[in-house]
Amino acid sequence: MAQIELESVTKEFPDGTTAVSSLDLAVGDGELLVLVGPSGCGKTTALRMVAGLEDVTSGTISIDGRPVNDVEPRHRDIAMVFQSYALYPHLSVYDNMAFSLKYRRAAKAEIRQRVAEAARILELEPYLQRKPRQLSGGQRQRVAMGRAIVRQPRAFLMDEPLSNLDAKLRVQMRAEIAQLQRSLGTTTIYVTHDQTEAMTLGTRVAVISGGVLQQVAAPQELYRRPANLFVAGFIGSPPMNLIDARLERGGAAGDDAGPVVVFGPHRLAIPPEVVAAHPAFERYLGEAIVLGIRPEHLHDAAIAGGPVIKLPVRLREELGSEVQVHGAIGTAAHVSADAADDLRSLATIVARMDPRTKIAEGETAEIAVDTAELQFFDPASGDSILA
Amino acid sequence: MSLTEAKTATAIRPAVRRRGRSGRAAHSRLSRRRRRAGILLSLPALALVVALIGIPVGQAVYYSMTQWNGITATWIGPSVYTALFKDPIFWRVVENNALLLLAVPFAIGIPLVIAALLNEHVRGWRFFRSVYFLPTAISWVVIGMFAQRFFAATGVLNNLLSHVGFGASATDMLAGEHSALVALAITFIWSMVGTNTIIFLTGMATLDPTLTEAARVDGLSRTQIFFRVTLPLLTRFIQFSFVITVISAFSALFSLIFVMTSGGPGFGTTTLEFFIYQAGFQQVQFGTAALYGVVLFVIMAIAGLVQLRLIKPDDGGGW
Repeated sequence: MAQIELESVTKEFPDGTTAVSSLDLAVGDGELLVLVGPSGCGKTTALRMVAGLEDVTSGTISIDGRPVNDVEPRHRDIAMVFQSYALYPHLSVYDNMAFSLKYRRAAKAEIRQRVAEAARILELEPYLQRKPRQLSGGQRQRVAMGRAIVRQPRAFLMDEPLSNLDAKLRVQMRAEIAQLQRSLGTTTIYVTHDQTEAMTLGTRVAVISGGVLQQVAAPQELYRRPANLFVAGFIGSPPMNLIDARLERGGAAGDDAGPVVVFGPHRLAIPPEVVAAHPAFERYLGEAIVLGIRPEHLHDAAIAGGPVIKLPVRLREELGSEVQVHGAIGTAAHVSADAADDLRSLATIVARMDPRTKIAEGETAEIAVDTAELQFFDPASGDSILA
Repeated sequence: MSLTEAKTATAIRPAVRRRGRSGRAAHSRLSRRRRRAGILLSLPALALVVALIGIPVGQAVYYSMTQWNGITATWIGPSVYTALFKDPIFWRVVENNALLLLAVPFAIGIPLVIAALLNEHVRGWRFFRSVYFLPTAISWVVIGMFAQRFFAATGVLNNLLSHVGFGASATDMLAGEHSALVALAITFIWSMVGTNTIIFLTGMATLDPTLTEAARVDGLSRTQIFFRVTLPLLTRFIQFSFVITVISAFSALFSLIFVMTSGGPGFGTTTLEFFIYQAGFQQVQFGTAALYGVVLFVIMAIAGLVQLRLIKPDDGGGW
């Protein structure tokens, strides 16, 4: 197994595009690190640099402490699973899986044994003599995994290996990959644009945007303590409600009441323990901030307690296990500078509620807010005030 | 099954059968109509094929068994074929054709290497691609004239040889029977470089680049990737190139031979194709020309069948 380190790794293409900018990452031995971000954010480029398929413009990539910037991919002892699977169409499943071992001069008996073992794990035994085009998408994906497994490499690199599968198969294969990685214990870097995949698979998740690393953390940490507005908006479905607001001191001027967050006609007192844990609040008193509320932290006041805001309900969506309620907040939703203009009109927040809720479209609902879970961001830098 | 269920089932079955029968009848009526429409629609094409290919081939077979001067034809019969196969000159000409086939691997191999190098997109690859494609854009007559001057006693080749100290080995390649055929083969190879290079470049452009990337990660060197990944995936392009090169070797060299050697010295560079021209237009024996034409047609038909055998729709190759 291996440790992989990226130190200030930058990739600039000849046309001047900076795909990856000063990326620092360390992947521990046996860890599954997921690189997640929107399309074109540089995550695949970063992975390809680790594989040796792209040159590094500046910075250093090390595997087990040894810089590999100038090492050919074949000498890095890593295996890669491609988005398109990259199975050799002229070879059978067996030959595809044995391909690398043959050229690494492994003994025939060993090749047979390793391919048989991988085929058993991946349930590919009935298909070993078939050509890739005779397989379904899921089977091809498993062959691509098998080709990586038989190598017993120091690390796996996976570039959106599930993106060509249908939703049901993707869920199944996701679980299989997670189990496989845990049982093999091989260091893995997994690239995806699907945040659900990232959250369910990763020991840690690295969020990238515009070639810049935004945050690396365990999935729960990433979800509960997003480092900035990008992570807050990217992780979570439906995404976190982001609202332009102000932090003000509660009560009359000069008294010692705690801060309140004000947006539109609404005022929410921030729990004293939150204020106490984050002295940075003081700096923002009287200033504009961006308030973040996860949809699941808004409840029907008839079912759950907490400070209440009143929202006119525009839409109620039944999802079976939950009800999503869209309410007008009476002020503009926060829109980042690079966001699309069509988001500017979304002056609504979404709440994920208990399916027993009776809140109906058209009524003004009383919504209880879990204020202990509120997030606060600096509107200028986008960074979390709670960090 | 209860009695009521059994009655219901019995009542339903004939209805299903009736529907089944009428459905089958409707289906067979529809398929008959479709078949008829298909035949009708293909008739014009069939008529054209018969008029433009069938009748001329039939006429050629007929005239091949006659003595025909272009105006009057005297029937001789199938014995002309027996006589032909006993004619040593005919076999010499066929041998020339066979020897020219030895150029085919070079006419495919050299463009394959060039295409592989160009596909690396080295600096100036577009310029080199144009240079290699140039012979395809030039008339065969011009290529022949250029080759004649290149291989002549005082031509470019001998000048080059004497400049690098091999003046003693300078020779007029077009003057010797065997060397003239070699010169013709070299010119043929050069003239096929452009077409075949473009075919292979096209083939390489269709390959999924992640395959070579996967092979790089799998541990293969560039040479191994070419032979183990790229080449097998180009199988169909190589087969196609093989077929058109063989066909060209048999039926596209007339201009080259006419300009470079006129079939000589002796019968040194006469191919079946040129033999037809000589019999028909130099000796005014159109019957004999038709005879050679039929033989060439049979050889080309065999080459075509081999091609069909090679390029099967599902032979495991992938592109």
